[in-house]
Amino acid sequence: MIQVSGVTKAFSSKNSEVLAVDKAYMEVKKGEFVLILGRSGSGKSTLLGMLAGLIHPSSGSIRFEGVDLSGLPEDKIAALRAEKIGFVFQFSGLIPTITALENVLLPTLFYHDGPGNRSRAAELLKKVGMSEREDAYPHTLSSGEMKRVAIARALINNPSLLIADEPTSDLDADTEYEIMELFGQLNREGMTIVMVTHNPDLISYATRTYGMTRGKLVKNTASFSDKEEDMGKPKIIGP
Amino acid sequence: MNKKMNYVTFIMAGIRNKPGRNLATVFCFAFIAANIFSGQFLLSGAVGGVERGISRMGADHIVVPVQYLITTGYTGGASTGAIVSVNPSVFRVNKSIMDITGNISGVAETSPQLYILTLELPELSSSPVSIFGIDPDSDFTIQPWLQQPLNAPLKRGEVIIGKDIDREVLSSISVKNHTYTVAGRLDSTQSAADTTIYMGMDDAYVLAAAEGVVSRTVSPILPGDISAVFVRDSPGENPDTVGSRLRKAFSSSDSAGKIAVINRHFTLTPVSHDIQDIPALLLIISAFVILAALPLIALIAAMVAHERQREIGLLKAMGAQRKVVFFLVIAESLVLAATGGIAGVSVSLIAFSLANMQGLLNSALQVSFRMPAPADIGQMAGLALFAVIAIGSVSSLWPAYRSSTMNPYDAIRLNRG
Repeated sequence: MIQVSGVTKAFSSKNSEVLAVDKAYMEVKKGEFVLILGRSGSGKSTLLGMLAGLIHPSSGSIRFEGVDLSGLPEDKIAALRAEKIGFVFQFSGLIPTITALENVLLPTLFYHDGPGNRSRAAELLKKVGMSEREDAYPHTLSSGEMKRVAIARALINNPSLLIADEPTSDLDADTEYEIMELFGQLNREGMTIVMVTHNPDLISYATRTYGMTRGKLVKNTASFSDKEEDMGKPKIIGP
Repeated sequence: MNKKMNYVTFIMAGIRNKPGRNLATVFCFAFIAANIFSGQFLLSGAVGGVERGISRMGADHIVVPVQYLITTGYTGGASTGAIVSVNPSVFRVNKSIMDITGNISGVAETSPQLYILTLELPELSSSPVSIFGIDPDSDFTIQPWLQQPLNAPLKRGEVIIGKDIDREVLSSISVKNHTYTVAGRLDSTQSAADTTIYMGMDDAYVLAAAEGVVSRTVSPILPGDISAVFVRDSPGENPDTVGSRLRKAFSSSDSAGKIAVINRHFTLTPVSHDIQDIPALLLIISAFVILAALPLIALIAAMVAHERQREIGLLKAMGAQRKVVFFLVIAESLVLAATGGIAGVSVSLIAFSLANMQGLLNSALQVSFRMPAPADIGQMAGLALFAVIAIGSVSSLWPAYRSSTMNPYDAIRLNRG
């Protein structure tokens, strides 16, 4: 489904250039649950942003279902994202001015807008255990509830890939468990998931894992192996 | 509970999120719309009033004794008051001059008026009341102003009164021991005619002959005397050409040097003077308001777009294309502009309607204000709405462009909430 080939992303910062992702190679097959482990600032969120087409790589290529994202104009990538990629952000990412149900329905404005959306949104809220709160506004929801709504929203257009950027980082242990169980269930139902986290305890949910340190992506990483002092620090190159 | 999700729902939710600021923005748009609409409305009403006055007056020339020019301070243009009622002048000519005027090529109608006197009649008006004689059969200057057409031609013992004479139709008026029945009442003319009583020539001569009516210092009014002849040209005639013919005819008659011909001056003073000032003033005010409001609204739109960067970034991450984001930002501004525009026009229209009912517009503008036709009001309202919507669109173009081209990843990461 996804082939990442030699992808590099460098950000300019004053007199230096920060290498957030350094020649990453990665493959995600349909139905996999890929977990990318890494500390804050290791470049994993940047990698996810590139997988979703939100960030253009400095070099290398990302192919999604055979299509090279770097060759697509921005609006084509947006259309592809609306149709095929669900994104769960580290923060809830809910729009505060509309209800939980309306938040779930929001992506249908950009794809699949049709009469069946309402029932599908209600069905998804039920699936994530939020059917009782569909008319609640985000500020009345707990962090866990907001995350559940965000997951339902990511699934509304029936995407082939679910990308999750540290979806459990700000949750308590019980809620984290519930959310991960939900991801596990979605994966068992056939959903391809790519998720980044800094919590190695979640490895058991994954079918494949990568580790990321200072922009370097390493395959089949079961835990952080780098020295503690190097964790998460981006590599600074030149001048 | 809203179960629908569409662009309107999303836009309205965004607007509801900041009620105070958006209310202020709506007020800003309302002020602009009210300003634009009011300018057109007042101008149209004032011009409409004058046009109605011109059409009602109908006279293209007044033929008067030459002394009239001196006694009324005539300086080249005939005022509304002069045309309708003839400014009071004790100088008179014999109505035989109507034979000359009636035979001039290009003259369609002639009608005489006779000024009798002006007197204090506090029971009828707080202002001095003038008495004029008219020929009801040939009159085309006074009777078109009637609020309601007369049931029958003006008879002896009947009078027509100006708007400010405090009597109702069919009531009685007593002048110098002569009693008359009010047969009709005029609309406001914003001239001396508002405090004038008009009677038939026969009644006028009888009244003029009564003791103490005409001052002994001036010559008595004799049957056949008139103060002026009103002349209406045939359709399509050039008033200047007909006026020249009239002057030429009188200069070669026995009345040479005694008669003056005044052409109707389309720059009617003082009424039109006030109106002429209105468009320029309104234009300046409107331009100032728009110039002041445009950057303010643009700033508000930019502020809103900046505050909602994260939200816009989220939308783009969900698959919103650039044109959709552009549309959403513009649409929100348009909703505010349209709401403000409708509110501004509505409030203005209601306020002006109430003011007009109380006669406040007449006194404020110093003209006979006439409510524009509904179609014209609709057109003016449409123009005001178009203007504010255009302002709303233009002012949000840059923020909309910036929002549509922003990097969603940066917007989301930099504005985490």
